[in-house]
Amino acid sequence: MESGTLMTTTLNRPAASSPAPAKPTLTFRQRLNVLDMKGSPYLYIAPFFILFALVGLFPLGYTFFVSLFDWHLLKGQGEFVGLRNFQEVLQDRFFWNSLFNTMSIFLLSTIPQLIVATAIAAVLDQNLRGKTFWRMSILLPYIVTPVAVALIFANMFGEQYGLINNILASFGIERILWTNETLPSHIAIATMVNWRWTGYNALILLAAMQAVPRDIYESAAIDGAGAFRRFFSITLPSIRPTMIFVVITATIGGLQIFTEPRLFDPRTAGGTGRQFQTTVLYLWDMAFQRSNFGKAATIAWLLFLIIILFGIVNYLISRRIATTGDGRGPGSGARRRRRGESAAPAVVLPAVGPQPPAPAADPAPESAGSAGTPARTNPRRAR
Amino acid sequence: MEFSRLRKITALAGVASLAIVASGCSGGGNDEPASADNPVNLTVTTFGQFGYDDLYAEYEEQNPGVTIEATNIDGSANARVDAFTKLAAGSGLSDVVAVEEGWLGQIMEVSDQFVDLNDHGAADIKDNWVDWKFEQGTDPDGRVIGYGTDIGPQALCFNQELFEAAGLPTDREEVAELFGGDNATWETYFDLGRQYNETTGKAWYDQSAFVWNSMVNQMDEGYYTADGELNIEGNEAMRAQFDLLAAGTADGLSANQKQFDWGKGKAFVDGSFAVHVCPAWMLGTIKEQLESAGGGAESGWDVADVFPGGSSNWGGAFLSVPESSEHPAEAAKLAAWLTDPEQMVKQSAAANNFPSTLDAQAEIVEAAVPNELFNDAPYGEIFASRAEGVVAQFKGPDDSVIQENVFAPALKILDNGTGTADEAWNEAITLLNDLVVNN
Repeated sequence: MESGTLMTTTLNRPAASSPAPAKPTLTFRQRLNVLDMKGSPYLYIAPFFILFALVGLFPLGYTFFVSLFDWHLLKGQGEFVGLRNFQEVLQDRFFWNSLFNTMSIFLLSTIPQLIVATAIAAVLDQNLRGKTFWRMSILLPYIVTPVAVALIFANMFGEQYGLINNILASFGIERILWTNETLPSHIAIATMVNWRWTGYNALILLAAMQAVPRDIYESAAIDGAGAFRRFFSITLPSIRPTMIFVVITATIGGLQIFTEPRLFDPRTAGGTGRQFQTTVLYLWDMAFQRSNFGKAATIAWLLFLIIILFGIVNYLISRRIATTGDGRGPGSGARRRRRGESAAPAVVLPAVGPQPPAPAADPAPESAGSAGTPARTNPRRAR
Repeated sequence: MEFSRLRKITALAGVASLAIVASGCSGGGNDEPASADNPVNLTVTTFGQFGYDDLYAEYEEQNPGVTIEATNIDGSANARVDAFTKLAAGSGLSDVVAVEEGWLGQIMEVSDQFVDLNDHGAADIKDNWVDWKFEQGTDPDGRVIGYGTDIGPQALCFNQELFEAAGLPTDREEVAELFGGDNATWETYFDLGRQYNETTGKAWYDQSAFVWNSMVNQMDEGYYTADGELNIEGNEAMRAQFDLLAAGTADGLSANQKQFDWGKGKAFVDGSFAVHVCPAWMLGTIKEQLESAGGGAESGWDVADVFPGGSSNWGGAFLSVPESSEHPAEAAKLAAWLTDPEQMVKQSAAANNFPSTLDAQAEIVEAAVPNELFNDAPYGEIFASRAEGVVAQFKGPDDSVIQENVFAPALKILDNGTGTADEAWNEAITLLNDLVVNN
């Protein structure tokens, strides 16, 4: 972005200083050049947007179109019903049940997962022997296909013959109904999710932790901060942006959970009594068991809106953390000091720096921006 | 119905939310007879235990130029999802598709998407089948959209060892008498169960849903009347059977197993339950379960020529050719060959199921090959006898939904012991209204 503003200022300059019309003097080659300069970037990013429109935007719109009709899976489009599908789905107890299940499984998986992942990352961040071995080991569950994971765990969590219930029974503890009771089934599914994703998140958090400058730890240690104090006061605040990223991806993934509950009991769509039927599973159930494509499309759209809602909440929270993180928060002392040091030249530089005889047309903020660039990147690097 | 274009759009909608891959081509194509110069690839999709592998090889040998690409899906429920997804997408169905009786009702609603086998000589071989099976594969307009493969006449499987331990007779003919022979009733069945439970403290049957399916399947009219109206709420005969089952389950007769799972077959070898409702194809399923759990003939299972409440048929399949097939004539020829009595006998031997053509039935009875896994039971004779008096029941469009999503959860309440018969029945009615009536 900043290099972009620089380019436009240099381009604008001759146009502003020489009052003569520039256009007729441009040769075909030059014009091509200008076109290249202004148009090509759009061309470069076009593939993504074309692809997105094709496989993202169009289906989104078309799904909405379908949701406005009575639409049978096999018999196809029926009558136009307006928003009736939305009205009915919102009054549907199974829809709310599926939302509850999704949220419950999401919370049961994401919270322990992030805590454990952070702890694992913190351990891996120490000077261990055979670093790569440990790091690769925690990623192993991630490369196992979820279908295999679900099969193994469904077996372990079997009610009458499962490994876990057998162990419990040998201790004289009553068997747990892993598929027939709501909370146990959610814990079982959350376990699958956690097993698969904890290592992955730990690696991402580890990468963030490694980017924290070691000298901060050293000075904290010299100041007498213990390992826990250093972790909570330096590590955690420093990896905050990464943490937000991990939370957001975990949220989206959590709200779309399908494979694990689907395969936990492959004979049903989320348990005989819908004990662990998540929203996506309900969508599938609606489309392929109940053959109601219109309502399935409606559920897809409602889920989309809910995910957007979560996205906005996440965004607001992360913005709040980002702004309050500057001045406040535990342990930002060290960072504030550094920031203060580097912020000083940022204020000084624009004033001292050789201000070129800028043309009057050149807007002030832009020149300040371009001139201040080298200094302003400093505090960012410090973060 | 105007689908060709609409259907393609539907396919795209599928991609939208449900990730269906659609290649969007349908109908037409080259339909010259296959020969060495004109090779034809035929795709076939079956499910569960079909026993066709050797037959495919034989057909390929007899018909140079034909190559069969077969897919077998693990069970009927997943086969249904597979078939419906592809029907909705308008492409992707195999040239020959196996359709289960349970979801035939839904297929019938879109029977125009399947080739009328009358165009390929169905009338000439009509008399091969037991008449009700052929009628089931015929739509209201008289188009034949499926050739029957097997049928599911029901007998009663029992475990000799467990019977012996409980002081019950173990000879299969004595067992048939014990249950009442030709006049066997569900009352006797549950009373014997209570007696067994008192002596041994163990469960009688694996779970309630299979018993329920059997009860409903033997009624003249099941979940639907013959006119296609829902027939559950206020159906006193059905409610009486439900109460009978609920009382039995409340007395501890259900082992509350997970259907089609049975702890990966362990329940069949550890004495969890002593009797099992056995449509012919169930023998294949039990065989698979026993193998998975390391059991075998020594596990003590046997099958008796008796069924509570009289004749009953559960399941059985059809072979259909979708309109989207590029080689309908070749596909119909293959379907007819596979369901020919001669091949059916081989299929029956490979898959432990019971054929739906009269000649094949006669041949199996005559051959009298004993089923080693079931204490050398003459299964041909037993199931031929059980098939007598079976009447085809009308299967409505939501039959399989009602079975799996309305009654299965309600019966689970009974199995888990978390509700009374009234509560379970009311739950079934509520589910029925939510899932079927107001869908």
